[in-house]
Amino acid sequence: MISRLTIRRLVLISIITTLVSLVLMVAGIVYPKPLLLVLSMSMGQLFGTLSLALYLLAIVLDLQGVGEHDDIRPHIGFEGEGEGEDEKQV
Amino acid sequence: MYEIHSVEELLKLTALAAAGISAAILVWYLVRRPPLGRLTKVLLLFGLGVMPLGVALTGNISGFEYTLKRQFCGSCHVMLPYTEDAADPGSNSLAAIHSRNHSFGEESCYNCHADYQMFGTMTTKVNGLRHLFHYVTEYANSGPYGEPLPGQAKLPAIHMYKPFQNGMCTRCHSTTAPNWMANQDHAGMLDDLRKGDAKCVDCHTGEKIHPRAFAHGGNGRPPVADASRPAEAPKGAHP
Repeated sequence: MISRLTIRRLVLISIITTLVSLVLMVAGIVYPKPLLLVLSMSMGQLFGTLSLALYLLAIVLDLQGVGEHDDIRPHIGFEGEGEGEDEKQV
Repeated sequence: MYEIHSVEELLKLTALAAAGISAAILVWYLVRRPPLGRLTKVLLLFGLGVMPLGVALTGNISGFEYTLKRQFCGSCHVMLPYTEDAADPGSNSLAAIHSRNHSFGEESCYNCHADYQMFGTMTTKVNGLRHLFHYVTEYANSGPYGEPLPGQAKLPAIHMYKPFQNGMCTRCHSTTAPNWMANQDHAGMLDDLRKGDAKCVDCHTGEKIHPRAFAHGGNGRPPVADASRPAEAPKGAHP
């Protein structure tokens, strides 16, 4: 069952994966040794692409209104209030 | 103030700046955990998509640019007999003479060894991955110049994957220059050289190109200084 919490978790995983990919890519730029460059251009970019795909999936689910009425406050420190608030303001 | 000397440096700085912006957005989100409103989504799109794409693009270009440099080839220590000699202003090897030419300069390894064909850049990069594999699996634990350590079995000689093609030489040495034609051997073998039936490297052999290489009878190390060695780099390149 996909809930609002799933969307937040997808975003969280996407962010962590992006940070890993950034570390790899920056390492390849700062220390351009053969092995690091190969890792940066392969794993770094693979993680980056994967994280963007996860984020886009999260956005698509969010736009479809998945779990709109879920209360995620008890979970992993997310602030539930204001969720989607600024959409309402528009 | 920091000065930017090349496009490669500019690209590197751009990549690092984009990575910094991206990381700042992502850390902000992790710390604040704001609601997934429109502004947050757009900011995250920058942090997760636009900026990392910028890092990948500029990082790739600067990375590829760096892989053209002799310094990069010398990153694997087994290449030091080749790269140190090429960079030695006192060396008279063909590699060193070519490296002193501005057309080759810091990219002399790539300029002579990149495949000379339509997809040459790509095949050269794929071969680079093969080099890395061989380095990690066969040569990584060798002496400072790639020689076997005491008690270690003899290492396989470093060799090119396919014979050196005349096209690598003739893209600069057009076989029509008067200086080049003045050489009796060149003139006598002109048709064979142009057809590829005779190879440039048949005469300009490995020990004249990379004399310190183990594969060409060298011991990897710099030559011991002696009085007969020219004190200054000879001027001019091979015709």
